[in-house]
Amino acid sequence: MPCALLGDRASGKTTFLGLLYSAQVKYGTGVQDDFRFHAPMASLNVMSAVYEGMKDGRFPSATLKEEITEISFIFGYLRRIIGKLPHYIRQQNWARPFSTLRFSAYDVSGEDIEEFIETGIASRPLIQQLLKSVVVVVLVDCSKMTTDIDTPVYKKMLRYDSTVAKLLVSFQTYKKQEYERLKDSGVHPEPPIIYPAFVLAKFDTLRDDVLARLGLHRGFPEGKRERREYAEALLRVFVPQTLSQIRGGKVGGVSMDKSEYFLSWVRTETQEGMDPVGHSRIVRTGFRPEGGGEPDFAYDEYVHFIEHFRDIAHKIPDEVLEAERFQAQALIRSA
Amino acid sequence: MLQVAIVGDRASGKTTFLGLLYAAQVKSGSDRTDDFRFHVAFESLEEITAVFQRLMSGSFPDAATKEGIHEVRFNLGFRKPKLGILPFPRSRAWAPGAFATIRFILLRTFNQEISQLLKGSSVGNGGTLRDILDCDVAVILADSSRLATKSEGAELGPMHEYDGAVESLLTAIQRWREPGGRPIVYPIFVLSKFDCVRPEVLRAANVETAPPRVGKRGPRATYAEKLLAHNLPKTFAKLRGWGRRKLKFSPPAYFFPWVRTEPVALGQSERIRLRRVRAAGWEPDYSFDEYIGFVECLRDVSMQKGE
Repeated sequence: MPCALLGDRASGKTTFLGLLYSAQVKYGTGVQDDFRFHAPMASLNVMSAVYEGMKDGRFPSATLKEEITEISFIFGYLRRIIGKLPHYIRQQNWARPFSTLRFSAYDVSGEDIEEFIETGIASRPLIQQLLKSVVVVVLVDCSKMTTDIDTPVYKKMLRYDSTVAKLLVSFQTYKKQEYERLKDSGVHPEPPIIYPAFVLAKFDTLRDDVLARLGLHRGFPEGKRERREYAEALLRVFVPQTLSQIRGGKVGGVSMDKSEYFLSWVRTETQEGMDPVGHSRIVRTGFRPEGGGEPDFAYDEYVHFIEHFRDIAHKIPDEVLEAERFQAQALIRSA
Repeated sequence: MLQVAIVGDRASGKTTFLGLLYAAQVKSGSDRTDDFRFHVAFESLEEITAVFQRLMSGSFPDAATKEGIHEVRFNLGFRKPKLGILPFPRSRAWAPGAFATIRFILLRTFNQEISQLLKGSSVGNGGTLRDILDCDVAVILADSSRLATKSEGAELGPMHEYDGAVESLLTAIQRWREPGGRPIVYPIFVLSKFDCVRPEVLRAANVETAPPRVGKRGPRATYAEKLLAHNLPKTFAKLRGWGRRKLKFSPPAYFFPWVRTEPVALGQSERIRLRRVRAAGWEPDYSFDEYIGFVECLRDVSMQKGE
């Protein structure tokens, strides 16, 4: 299942993937053993380098970021009923204990995106692949949320909002066209749907004056509805076009109603409350029975993110799964 | 699909009007109540988001942005009125047939083609002019800063030429549809820059400084006609003269949009005043209600047409 990860320059895309990998490592080695993951060699090479760096307190370097074009993981979720069977039955291959889902994130240059938006033609295979995404993850950099209208940061956020809104509409347009094409060819496809997920990146850098002005408190709430309301209160101010086009998907013929909201933060070192000079370093957790020496980050939110895909895995339309199977077989044949 | 032609004199605020219409839809389409949704067609996004960015940072659309905009397409969706006794999901359902596709086409200049058409020349397939001639709704922008009093005289008034051009266009639409086509046109007058209307014009017309609120269709029509009828006499005569034509004009609707500007020194370009909105950051200081009223008016026309 292709997943588009959209984020502005320096919004923390690589850090997000690195922390997602860290969360997968931790969650996938837990005592419960109901989640497993696999990464292809190319993705593993990059992600393990990012992971190593983070365990050493460093953010991903520019060179590493350059190397990323596609990151893939295969998530395996223990099936609920099979999970309750005795261990020796679960171990049998015929039992197929895990339902799997391929998570792929692509890095596409801004120039390619702009070209596509201007011309409406997806000439690069990577863009074509991207348009097939069923899940769209939008990173919104909280450090760029400001209410000072005359600052470059404010204008940057305005531009980012326009770009993401345009991309979302292009996803919707592609899905709608594909749906019509399949219908015309006699197939009875399910109505098109996209699952958007917003990640409020660098949530710890969100300024108090911004929160106060919007009447929000600092912590992210627990309940699903409260989370949505809190996140939408921020998005309504900083990415209103994006939010309106996500809601408007239904009017345009592609439902995008099942938005989910997550936040991401990683604690960085400060000296007596002051910002450090030079590159900031990641704070690492102490050693405990359940692990340690890892980046101090929003682990629960990442687990929540992983679990979100468990729900989506059961809802992916058959034609998408079929296309994916076909693609995997083609890859095996060409190898 | 509802075809909406937007006509207006040079610098009457056509692009700003469309930009603020988009801003009002973004605001309404992302608010907590979630009663209204809209979707922009992919082809229209590049231009309209560029206008939006400028407006939200306090600038009016520049010449390049204006040149880029020729048409904008929106899909609109409205919730049906709340039914208190029904459980939440049922009462929040979308009204059947409440989705409308609206295509705005901008006529930038009243060019030679219209006068040639009136002399009997043909119109090619496709193109802006043909779309304008086939429109369901004609939005006629009247720049309020150029309104004159009755005593200043319509013949030599600043809108004299524009009045003639609009009348020609309406005649061209009538002739174009003579052999068949859509039987009715819904005219909408937009008195743009309404905050710039001269006080003596309001006094002479014996009207209040602010128009009756949106929704009061009758009083608004009376108010607007007191200001417009002598400024656009030919246009009004055309709309009121039923004649034997196949094409009919429905009674016009009126809107009075405005956007506040910052005081500027001589030689500086005008800037939009931004206002802080409670729990919603910043936005241009503009007549949000007028724009929402305009959208609802288009929805009603769309429903009347049975789209």
